[in-house]
Amino acid sequence: MKWPKLFKKHIYDREEISLSIYRKRWQKFKTMKRGYYSFVILITLYIISFFLPFLINNRALVVKYEDQLYFPVIQGFIQGNTFGQDVPGETNYRLLKQTWDETDSPNWLIMPPYPYSPYEDITVEGNKMFDPPNSEHWLGTDNTGRDVFARLCYAFNISISFALLLTVLNYIIGILIGGSMGYFGGKFDLFFQRIIEIWSSMPILYVIIILVSIMKPSFLLLIGIYTIVNWISMTYLMRAEFYREKAKDYVAAALSMGQSDFKVMFKHILPNSLVPVITYFPFAVVMGILALVGLDYLGFGMPPPTPSWGQMLDVGLSNITKWWMVFAPVTAQFLTLLCIVFIGEGVREAFDPKVYSRLR
Amino acid sequence: MNLNIHSSPLLDVQHLKVHFPVFGGVLSHKVATVKAVDDITFSIRKREIVGMVGESGCGKTTVGRALVNILKHVAPDVELSGDIIYHLKGKKVNFIKNSQKKIRTFRSDVQMIFQDPYASLNPRMTVAQIISEPLQLHTNMSKAEQKERVGWLLDKVGLQPEQSRRYPHEFSGGQRQRVGIARALATNPELIICDEPVSALDVSIQAQVINLMQDLQDEFNMSYLFIAHDLSVVEHISDRIIVMYLGNIVEMGKARDVYHHPRHPYSKALLSAVPLPDPSRKNRKRIVLKGDVPNPLNKPSGCPFRTRCPLALPSCAQAVPSLEEHADGHFVACPVVK
Repeated sequence: MKWPKLFKKHIYDREEISLSIYRKRWQKFKTMKRGYYSFVILITLYIISFFLPFLINNRALVVKYEDQLYFPVIQGFIQGNTFGQDVPGETNYRLLKQTWDETDSPNWLIMPPYPYSPYEDITVEGNKMFDPPNSEHWLGTDNTGRDVFARLCYAFNISISFALLLTVLNYIIGILIGGSMGYFGGKFDLFFQRIIEIWSSMPILYVIIILVSIMKPSFLLLIGIYTIVNWISMTYLMRAEFYREKAKDYVAAALSMGQSDFKVMFKHILPNSLVPVITYFPFAVVMGILALVGLDYLGFGMPPPTPSWGQMLDVGLSNITKWWMVFAPVTAQFLTLLCIVFIGEGVREAFDPKVYSRLR
Repeated sequence: MNLNIHSSPLLDVQHLKVHFPVFGGVLSHKVATVKAVDDITFSIRKREIVGMVGESGCGKTTVGRALVNILKHVAPDVELSGDIIYHLKGKKVNFIKNSQKKIRTFRSDVQMIFQDPYASLNPRMTVAQIISEPLQLHTNMSKAEQKERVGWLLDKVGLQPEQSRRYPHEFSGGQRQRVGIARALATNPELIICDEPVSALDVSIQAQVINLMQDLQDEFNMSYLFIAHDLSVVEHISDRIIVMYLGNIVEMGKARDVYHHPRHPYSKALLSAVPLPDPSRKNRKRIVLKGDVPNPLNKPSGCPFRTRCPLALPSCAQAVPSLEEHADGHFVACPVVK
């Protein structure tokens, strides 16, 4: 006699709670297994990638030396002679651990699970150039002896952060300008349309090459340069959406009760114009990742030695016989972009008003 | 119905003109104007229901939207002239000449109900959010008071307060129109402009909504400007009727007089087109107008109706006829039928 009661309660719950359209779409998105799991995997990996210094690093997590605790990951640079190690400059923790383990020393240290840093090259003792994949260097080492796997993981975080930040910035500017164009119309619209036409004819690649050769390239500078040009594509969509929505009666109702333009735009029209924004988002992220890869490949991207897929690809292609150096960044990019495209596809299907229109 | 003709005035519309410029040519200059509303003057008193009828495209909706001053948002180039003077809270406010800031404080007293209940409610907001929006703007009620007021309003318009957490798409057309009415009532307005509130509903629901609106008018003593193209609906609810043709008022008077004794040839033709549910009167004379409504871009000179008028004289082409009082409170804009 238990389950009919449960069943009834379930029905009551469904009666009580009305789902907004976006909640419904989220629930539908969850049923798109491919897109949903890609989303979960990518988000999890991205969140994990912020803790990479604790997972992939050549500095120890904790060092116990002469009754004192050290946290090199957090504290940063610690001179080798602090722990009685005879090396110039920073402590070599792997070596230290080895020495202490061998000598049964009362001191101990805990290394991260993958004890190599993306920056340590051949100058550190024990590193070799072009070391093929093995149990220590899972994806081998590159032309300067840096661990490919470590660089790959750090580059993942930088790529996704770059693409997300770029897309969000572009969206904010694009929605503000495009939305105002559509909402206010008239001369304001005309003026900005002309500005956009002129602006969009700017050759982005040359602008980047020139700016990067004048200024020192950095993460924020690259985002800034890309944003200067990329916000335009969003204005087209938002202008059209706002144009269409502002003629609807719910906007007239809000205006007739004296709602301010700002509130009408962002409380009433924007929530009804988000479909292109959301469905376009994953593809914009893909474009952002590829933009950074392209710039890094050409050598106009992040300053070396920042780990990046484009730079790894560049080095790999000039050492094509060392297959792992090409294979690693290409596979990583392929899988990441595939995941994002799956997400995009799932989102598009979740926003499709027809229930049975999934492509098979 | 509250037929107190001598109550104080609420709204005076004087020489209202709404012209939409048409741009064209290589340099996008003004090539013509659509005279959607061309010099109309009327007034609404307190607790009065004024019906406004006319065929599609005669400017009824534009008048309604001009009265709440929202035309500029959709058509920034619109040319408005004349005066829309409200007598609210013991003050006079001109919705055309005064600043938006001054108008805003009076907007709570002039609300609007829209034609299409599917488009007039924001699909992303719950019913409670929709109805409490005017309360947030014009009162300083707490959240709990707002919730109570929303429940009370929903009860007044015949919906259950429990439905306030639903979204508009979960309601039928008639229920949505009730939500629209509840929103318009929220701030206790003096005047509600009803822009064809029932034309998107089917007949049985139309009657329910009309009766609801009448009951609410009895209870709250508001005025309505009831815009419709369905004459029987307008006659049923209105104290006075205004007949419009191509942006002009052609006849205006008490509902009974206009409906049963129309004087203007256009009103006569319009009323003869009303279907009668009485088979014994099927031999009634039906006036069929020739031709179509002229293009408002290119209105005929003089009387706008003269191209289709059975009584037209050559003199009709000379001047736009003014409204003249034929009987007590019955105004007709036709020099021929005098």
